[in-house]
Amino acid sequence: MSYAPAMTATTQVRRALAGRSYLFSVLLLIIVVSINYALQPNMFRPASLSGNLRTYLPLMLLAAGQAIIVIGGGIDLSIGAIVSLVNVIIVRALGVDPSPGRIALAIALGLLAGTLAGAFNGLCAAYLRFQPIITTFATSFVFSGLALWVLPSPGGVVPPDLLRAYAANPLRIPLAIWVAALVLLLWGALRATRFGTYLYAVGGQPLSAYVTGVPVSLVRLASYSIGGLLAACGSLALTLNTGTGDPLVGGPMTLPSVVAVVIGGTRLSGGQGGIAGALIGVVVLRLLDSIISFANVPSWWQTFAQGMIVMVALAGPGLVALVRGQRP
Amino acid sequence: MHQIALTAHQLVKRYGGVVALADGSLEVRSGEVVALVGANGSGKSTLGKIITGAVAPDGGQLILDGRAVHFPSPQAARRAGIAAVYQDLSLVPDLTVAENIWLAHEPIGWGWRVRRGAMREATARLLDLFAGTVRSTLTPETPVAALPPDERQIVEILKALSLNPRLMILDEATASLDSNQVARLFELVARWKAEGMAVIFVSHRMEEIFRLADRAVVLRSGQTVGTRDLRTTSEQELVALMIEGGLAVESRSAAGATRGAERLRVAGLRAGAVRGVDLSLHDGEIVGLGGLRGQGQTDLLLALFGALPFTGEVRLAGQPVRFTHPSQAMEAGIAFVPGDRTREGLLPIRSILENLLLPSWHRYGALLRLTQARRDAQAMAQRLNLVMESLDAPVSSLSGGNAQKVVLGKWLLREPRLLLLDDPTKGVDVGAKREFYQSLEELRDAGVAILLYSSDDEELLGLCDRVLVLRDGQVRAELAGPTLTRAELVSASIGALMGETS
Amino acid sequence: MKRPKLNPVVIALLLAVLLFALGGILRPGFASHAQAMNILRLAALLGVIAAGQTLVIISGGEGIDLSVGAVITLSATLTYRLVNGDNGMVLPALGLTLLVGLLIGVINGLGITLLRIPPLVMTLGMTGVVQGLVLVVTQGQMQGAVAPIMARLVARPLALGIPGVVLIWVVLGVAMWLVLQRTAYGKRLFAIGVNRTTARLSGVRVPRVVVATYGLSGMLAALGGFVLLGYTQIVFLNLGAPYTLPSIAAVVIGGTLLSGGQGGYAGTMAGALVLTLLTSLLTALQMPESARQIVYGGTLLVLLSVYGRQRALRQ
Repeated sequence: MSYAPAMTATTQVRRALAGRSYLFSVLLLIIVVSINYALQPNMFRPASLSGNLRTYLPLMLLAAGQAIIVIGGGIDLSIGAIVSLVNVIIVRALGVDPSPGRIALAIALGLLAGTLAGAFNGLCAAYLRFQPIITTFATSFVFSGLALWVLPSPGGVVPPDLLRAYAANPLRIPLAIWVAALVLLLWGALRATRFGTYLYAVGGQPLSAYVTGVPVSLVRLASYSIGGLLAACGSLALTLNTGTGDPLVGGPMTLPSVVAVVIGGTRLSGGQGGIAGALIGVVVLRLLDSIISFANVPSWWQTFAQGMIVMVALAGPGLVALVRGQRP
Repeated sequence: MHQIALTAHQLVKRYGGVVALADGSLEVRSGEVVALVGANGSGKSTLGKIITGAVAPDGGQLILDGRAVHFPSPQAARRAGIAAVYQDLSLVPDLTVAENIWLAHEPIGWGWRVRRGAMREATARLLDLFAGTVRSTLTPETPVAALPPDERQIVEILKALSLNPRLMILDEATASLDSNQVARLFELVARWKAEGMAVIFVSHRMEEIFRLADRAVVLRSGQTVGTRDLRTTSEQELVALMIEGGLAVESRSAAGATRGAERLRVAGLRAGAVRGVDLSLHDGEIVGLGGLRGQGQTDLLLALFGALPFTGEVRLAGQPVRFTHPSQAMEAGIAFVPGDRTREGLLPIRSILENLLLPSWHRYGALLRLTQARRDAQAMAQRLNLVMESLDAPVSSLSGGNAQKVVLGKWLLREPRLLLLDDPTKGVDVGAKREFYQSLEELRDAGVAILLYSSDDEELLGLCDRVLVLRDGQVRAELAGPTLTRAELVSASIGALMGETS
Repeated sequence: MKRPKLNPVVIALLLAVLLFALGGILRPGFASHAQAMNILRLAALLGVIAAGQTLVIISGGEGIDLSVGAVITLSATLTYRLVNGDNGMVLPALGLTLLVGLLIGVINGLGITLLRIPPLVMTLGMTGVVQGLVLVVTQGQMQGAVAPIMARLVARPLALGIPGVVLIWVVLGVAMWLVLQRTAYGKRLFAIGVNRTTARLSGVRVPRVVVATYGLSGMLAALGGFVLLGYTQIVFLNLGAPYTLPSIAAVVIGGTLLSGGQGGYAGTMAGALVLTLLTSLLTALQMPESARQIVYGGTLLVLLSVYGRQRALRQ
């Protein structure tokens, strides 16, 4: 009976949408941008656009990493702890008044730490076969413990030159857009390789993939490692944005990264979706926040309003299906 | 094609304390089709999976072209030229047909990119092999999730073929195919054989084994008990080798004894693949649903059980009913034995007790009277002659035939008036099948109305008082008495299909 | 499949004894009666909070309730305001908070069944909403007071030197055992946890069971908030949040399958004891926060390696 309605209009629509799972998030984006523009007509001014995107970029990179992990059939609840860890490692490695070589070393160390942290998750989930949710929950304690050990209390400074570089607008286009475009480009290249197909196969039906000869554990390990690397990139962007180290900075970013992935049209069960949607999902989430703060919502109601809006965004696809399904 | 000679020598596989394979041995070489036969749980599939590297043996040897080999993974076996078509499908639903077929051996071009165009063309060439037996919607770009079971099976076969194997293992590969597709597959196998491929054919269907295979290797309780040249062996001989103690006369039911009042009347029912079915079913009668696979039989049963929305009229003992959930149908005395035991009929990790009582818990009070429940379950287990460790053992520890008894038993505990069955003996061994038929006949004699879909024509002929042949979601023929013959049954289903393809 | 399995409940209990003995050896006084009662009290708090989580995880379908922490805070906040130091208001306040918890849980369940939102995401989203509700209720000011009877019930020994909260825990344990083993709801809960198609085709109304389960989880979280308030005697915005993930960990340590369909509350009770002992031990050893977190996470990983492993693809 599962295949019987294969010919119906719904399925045709679904097939047309297959591979374009981010369309719903685009729709949301248009709505949210319109409302924002009405409340805040200067949002497209280069300065405010660039400033806003700068603060969005860390979570965007994080959500991209989360999306790759989720597509591969996993989830990473330690991704925020990885951000904290990388953040304090970079700040500690920079020290005071660093030389260019030291700056490069600090960044390399940070990216390496993030990748290794991701790889550790992957090792547990893929080779030791632990449940991903509970594993990454456990490793999140390990990573944030390490972060506290590296830097017990907030502090440290980032050289102003680096901060200026992050605030740059090459060719009058905000750096964040360049980075996002680069990430999408690299993702496109990756998706077109054999690994791209493997990732979706492993997330969709691991046993089938295994029997076919896909190196399932290796693909899982790679997805977590890439996720960790992207989280480290996100942490680098965060560090350059805030200019300081904080061992607790990443914790609150984990859950939004998951929500952004879902808003972006990726199923949490894996094997489907993409990272374009996750990037858009972050922008949608952040713009929702700014709508609330600009819409004169009484301050004690703001958290509630944010929560409700996130719920509505999450409920959207289900509500549409429900209404459509109940029509005779 | 390169020559191949493979010998499996005394392979052993244990799962915990259970020995799945004690002494699996076979030989196969280029240009030959070897059938692997045996009752359920005899270790055929395990032997097949060891040869393809999906299962690691605990003992014994695999000898390929004269050298002992060890496959640490399915890839290793594939590199050695061994490909398998599995019973439980190995496809990824979210990927397209082309992506599935070429998974893990995609054509790679510049910059490690998958050459999608080449992949599409090669897929189209493979699909041409089955042209005319599949729907036109089966294209390289179709997501596998949108395919019916027979087409998924064909994709699975093509996937194995895409590897250009020297040895192909067809493990119950015909189970979901209709007769046209089976015929096409057999033509193809004959061609591959002539080209020098070796084929291992695992099947329950005697008739297909004799049509296709040169030799048969017989397994019983995990041991290879003999190899027979099929040109000089009779079906009875082979079956006798499969089941210990030889074969008794095949069970045949007498025509319906006493036909009672009308239990079920259906008019103009449409649901899923069902496009307007009328039927009538009386107490004390077994009515069969025949026809090729996927002509709406399953959807009809699901709709009657309230598990699939429908339009049209359904009357139960004269009263019009419209069920929107199985629990309502159950209240009205209907029971449904689904086709896929593990996915639809059982809770594998839970106990036999809980499985038997799942539909009946409400009868044991707000604070369940467990002693009484256990007594009822024990009585049912005895009545069905259930072979088990204890009522508290998980259902997953049972053999296929005994698991199917649990599915039937959980409904008999409710004493249904109307029993719906969806291909209940699929994958059940000969001995257990006979017991199952006996139970159905007892129920029929006790006045239960039974509606049975079966993909096994012999079963319909042997068991049913009447058979309704479905095609394209409609009843195209009703066979009873003198017209209820194998020839009529086959022509009513297959003749119809020929008309469709022309 | 059939390898002889150690009972997770037994493993968890052994681990608890081991940790307790270890604490006694490393820090004299750790194994004293007073300290033992204190640990038992903390374990009872976590155990009560993790009761609903046990049901939700058994229900399968990636079932998980991340909103328990927020519900705890909301329930404690409401109770704090309503009771306002008056013993007579305790029961009405308890009734109301349980109702609110039930309502939140039912909404979770409806979102999961009707709108097909994955449980992790649905309850995560609900967390934001409930946190917002807490702010709306308090308007930034935590007004109210705990009634003397609540403090007495939870914080001080009730009888035989055993704190009341431990007795509440034991009663809850018996109730949970009855619900899971001796009611049709319990049997159906396990059934939907293993296989929802089978359950539906056996007449189980799956959405109803799911909604009821999340409803119960919300209600039990609200009860947890009420009990926790009796212990802390004070409310703050972050009161419940630190309990969310330990509630899941306690269930997992107790051997309940995260994939659903198998497990029980006895395991969760043992798991709560293990987690509490571990935390207390690390505190008693005066480890820095960083080391405590690393050990906490590491222990979870070790436990996962003991019985949290999934089946291998290759057999």
